[in-house]
Amino acid sequence: MMMLYFLLLPLLVACLAPLLAPKKATYLSSLSFMLPFFAILYCIFNGCADIHLTTFSPPIGEISLNFDFISHAFGLTICIVSAMVALFALPYMKHRFEEMELSVEGEFRKYIFLYDLYAASMLWLVYSGNLILLYVFLEIALITAFLLIYFYGYGNRRWVGQLYLIWSLIAGVLTLAGFLIIGINNDTLALFSTDENIKVITTVGKIAWAFIFVGMVIELPVLGPHVWLPWAHAEAPTPVSALLSPLTVGLAGYVLLRIALIDYSFIVTYRNYILAYAILSSIYAGFSVFKQTDFKRLLAYSTVSQMGYMLAALCLGPFGLIGLVIQYMSHAFGKSILFSSAGGIIAVHHGLRDISKMGGLHDSIPTISNAAVIGFLNLGGILTVGMLGEFFILRGVVDTFLKSGSPSFLGWTGGLAIILAVIFMFILSVWYGFYTIRNVFYGKPKDTKRLEISGYLYVPLFIIGILSVLLLFPPLSTALIQGLNAMPGLGLGGVMP
Amino acid sequence: MNEWIVFLLLLLAPVVSSIPIALAYKSKGWTEKLPYLSVFGIFVSVVMSLYIFFVFPENQQYTYAWIPELGINFVFMCDYLSRYMGVITAVIAFFIAVYGLDYMKGDYRPSWYWFFFNLFTASMLLVVYSDNLFLLFVGWEGLGAASWGLIGHWFRDDDEITYVGMPKRKVGPLELSWPPSFGGWRAISTIRFGDVPMFLAIAAIWVLAGNLNISEIEWGVLFGTIGTAGTVILLLCILMGLFTKSAQVPFSEWLMTAMTGPTTVSALLHSATMVAAGAFVFIKLTWYIEPWHLHGVSGLEPVYIVVLFVGLLSGLYGALSGSGMLERKVLLASSTMSSIGLMFAAAAASFWVGHFAVLVAFWYMAVHAFAKASLFLVSGHLIHATHSRFLCGGLEFGKRIKPAFIVTFVATTFLVGMPPFTAYWVKSGMDEVMEHLVHDLGFLPLILLILTSLVYAGIMAKFLSLNFIKGEKPHHEHLEGGGLMKLGYSMMVSVLFVLIYLIFKSDETAEFVHAGYAPVSFAVGFAVLIAYVVALYKPQISALSKIGTFFNDRMYLPFANDYILPKTGFFVSHIVQEYGNRGIDGLFNTKVIPGLFGGISKGIRAIQTGYLSRYINIVLGLVMIVLILAAIGGVGL
Repeated sequence: MMMLYFLLLPLLVACLAPLLAPKKATYLSSLSFMLPFFAILYCIFNGCADIHLTTFSPPIGEISLNFDFISHAFGLTICIVSAMVALFALPYMKHRFEEMELSVEGEFRKYIFLYDLYAASMLWLVYSGNLILLYVFLEIALITAFLLIYFYGYGNRRWVGQLYLIWSLIAGVLTLAGFLIIGINNDTLALFSTDENIKVITTVGKIAWAFIFVGMVIELPVLGPHVWLPWAHAEAPTPVSALLSPLTVGLAGYVLLRIALIDYSFIVTYRNYILAYAILSSIYAGFSVFKQTDFKRLLAYSTVSQMGYMLAALCLGPFGLIGLVIQYMSHAFGKSILFSSAGGIIAVHHGLRDISKMGGLHDSIPTISNAAVIGFLNLGGILTVGMLGEFFILRGVVDTFLKSGSPSFLGWTGGLAIILAVIFMFILSVWYGFYTIRNVFYGKPKDTKRLEISGYLYVPLFIIGILSVLLLFPPLSTALIQGLNAMPGLGLGGVMP
Repeated sequence: MNEWIVFLLLLLAPVVSSIPIALAYKSKGWTEKLPYLSVFGIFVSVVMSLYIFFVFPENQQYTYAWIPELGINFVFMCDYLSRYMGVITAVIAFFIAVYGLDYMKGDYRPSWYWFFFNLFTASMLLVVYSDNLFLLFVGWEGLGAASWGLIGHWFRDDDEITYVGMPKRKVGPLELSWPPSFGGWRAISTIRFGDVPMFLAIAAIWVLAGNLNISEIEWGVLFGTIGTAGTVILLLCILMGLFTKSAQVPFSEWLMTAMTGPTTVSALLHSATMVAAGAFVFIKLTWYIEPWHLHGVSGLEPVYIVVLFVGLLSGLYGALSGSGMLERKVLLASSTMSSIGLMFAAAAASFWVGHFAVLVAFWYMAVHAFAKASLFLVSGHLIHATHSRFLCGGLEFGKRIKPAFIVTFVATTFLVGMPPFTAYWVKSGMDEVMEHLVHDLGFLPLILLILTSLVYAGIMAKFLSLNFIKGEKPHHEHLEGGGLMKLGYSMMVSVLFVLIYLIFKSDETAEFVHAGYAPVSFAVGFAVLIAYVVALYKPQISALSKIGTFFNDRMYLPFANDYILPKTGFFVSHIVQEYGNRGIDGLFNTKVIPGLFGGISKGIRAIQTGYLSRYINIVLGLVMIVLILAAIGGVGL
């Protein structure tokens, strides 16, 4: 039961924080995510039981909170990123309100309420044991994010906010349709139950899968619907970008993973097409990155590219699915650091976002520059937890396509094509990452004066960075990967259909 | 002492000891003192590597759990190779670090430098000792990241002396001059190009062999199950990683532009880490694959032929390019590429020759490491002393900087393979190996080896001659100080004497000595001596200046890297951005669909104005249409 209180804490604080002054509110919000973070760590090492909340009549079924390792991996990420970005946001949002000529104290109340609610709803989403509960939190996250963009975004923020809202609503409605079909067919929407006698979802069916897949692929997003994302992530206030891009979009991958674990047949049927689409989308977005001149837009395209990894991982069997989970974590750590460093540049260099005007920034803001390096190392899977993610995804490729006797064995010519495509997809993110670092931070400095910057703008980023390295090594990786591996459908226990 | 403490100290001492200086980046006082702590960290590694060398039993494996269910563990192997290589790596890093205390004094970001320098050392030690392929790959990636940080250390690109190439020299559309920040980016982008295939290959081994420990994998069985094509693809994927790391053709460009980093970095990069890592891992894999026992496995032979010839061609390419070069460090860089090529070739020859060829490759790596590190350290001192990165300095200058002169003399003569100095014995082994290949592959390998050796001797002599004997008088001379630098390279070069002692004393290398007395080896050694003396006497031949420029431009290989590849990439990016993204954005977000909705909405709103005249018009219009329709209908009737 303890976990329930830890999860309620951020929701409670969302209501209390607006009553406090900005600094106190920030600390309280951050703490309200740090405590669940440690609680989740405790659960990872010692385990904790699922919690029954209530039961509705069919087709809704039992509503419970589910504590398995997939949820823990996502929850851990959401907690630490939300806590750290909350700290980062303190000077940033003050600066933003001043820039917009709003009253800092008053606006901060509005902002912190929305921020806390937004982050908390994502946290609840990953622990929801029922699809309806999951959907409710998906929508709360969507609306709060929309409001944050609408109120405090950059550029034509109202238009961008609406754009985001419409795309996400389309995605949400399609998914809801899929959920409802599942509910009618199964007489329940419970993903998990706390009692063996209570019914859970056992079949998904092609139509429901198709609805959910299309909806979540728009939310993810992949090539085609991806055009909403650069607008929203670039024009949102940076702390919101630093949650939207690392945490929110990847949750589409979480939903797909949950559905896939119930019924993998849809993926098996269309595996080759989905994988080809995912890789194409990732490479396409990777190439787009090179042409971006706005730093935040650049990062947004990189998100599209990384989400391609997740969709690809979804097709790659039991180890690919572990890869998906780790990839989410790694991307979230990396991208939250990167968006925050973009925000740091905006804050100290008076709204600087144009890469063509950057270059040599390492001289004036070495700490932010170094944080960005850690961010890109995460995206590239170098010396961070992303390495494990890449390794599992690559193993998934071998398991699924290359080993003779594997389900989609392609022979050597087809196998070689897959190998080359996957390899290129992974190479590309390091290429654009370090290319960007060079263009933004290195080269002839325009200004060699070292600027004094607030610790809030970089210390939280390093904490995320350190965690991303620690997660590669024992004891964290040992506990986490062991847990994931032991889950039905994942890792060695998973049977490749 | 517990074994795990030894490994922990060995690997973590360098990293942990460089964290304080990384944190104290703001304080000038601390960043002047804390490098001593970092050097101490490397010293701890030296002690531990020596402890492993003398105390730990050979061929002992140590396993500590990481993710045991999946076979990912901290597995260290103390075999013949790792025990020697560990000591070599740690000792070289330590000498270079001592030298660096002087060399990096007054640098603008010491914290960055020491952190990555120590990370570099620790990563290499991890590669050396680890038996588990995943663990090895962690070290491997550490090498990549640290080399990126160190090559691009002088990120400001504001000092011409840190560049590579002739400033403002244009060939066609390309300017053949590269700043440090570019060097770093190119290093990591090239390396990544090979790392991902290698990672895939490791994942494939994980699935197919069910084990990640190099010494435990049954390689013969593995190759048997995946068949010819599978074996070739798997090994080529691994080799992509090794070749890019070791800068073999056509991936050599990054190594040349890597000379934009501080000289200490070049010294470490070229001797015992990074480029050596590729060759080392190949030697290590071959050691356990034992291809000479697997002649029945199809697919192995073509791969070893590829490695042999890539190695030999890189050897010749590097030596020839070096012959035209005038930049101190870049000349040494291309000679390194050449040496590493020979290591690959010798190790690959083991397929036909057996275990002995691997030993030759390994010992050549050891000799090369100390000699090349000494030469790099000398050239760093020379760059400080003359403020020029180009070869310069006459006999007069040479006399005034005697320690450097002597060290260069010793290092070059010991390295090129003239009798009776250290490398001669190893090179003799190599001659013997290539001679063995005549039966299987003809004379080509032997000819390539001899050609490479001769040109190599020439460029080493040229380096000595143009720096200390026959070069132009430097414009600037700054000879004071540099005590630690002199100490660094003197210690480094003295190890070459230890190595010759070891070669004569140890049982494994007895065959080298034997080979050294063979007439062919002696003939080659003598030819090398002549090439050396000739080049010493005439380091530059003006009649050949055109071909020299061609070699100096690295036979225009930069065009592939700097022109064709980026142009292609940016063309794709352009299409994707200007047509793809804009098109889709226009369709969904900005033009077509919003326009359509706007149009429909406007149309609907247009009929709801509230003016009576509008409605009368509508009614009249409808009546007209009905009348016309009726008229048409009437005609029809």
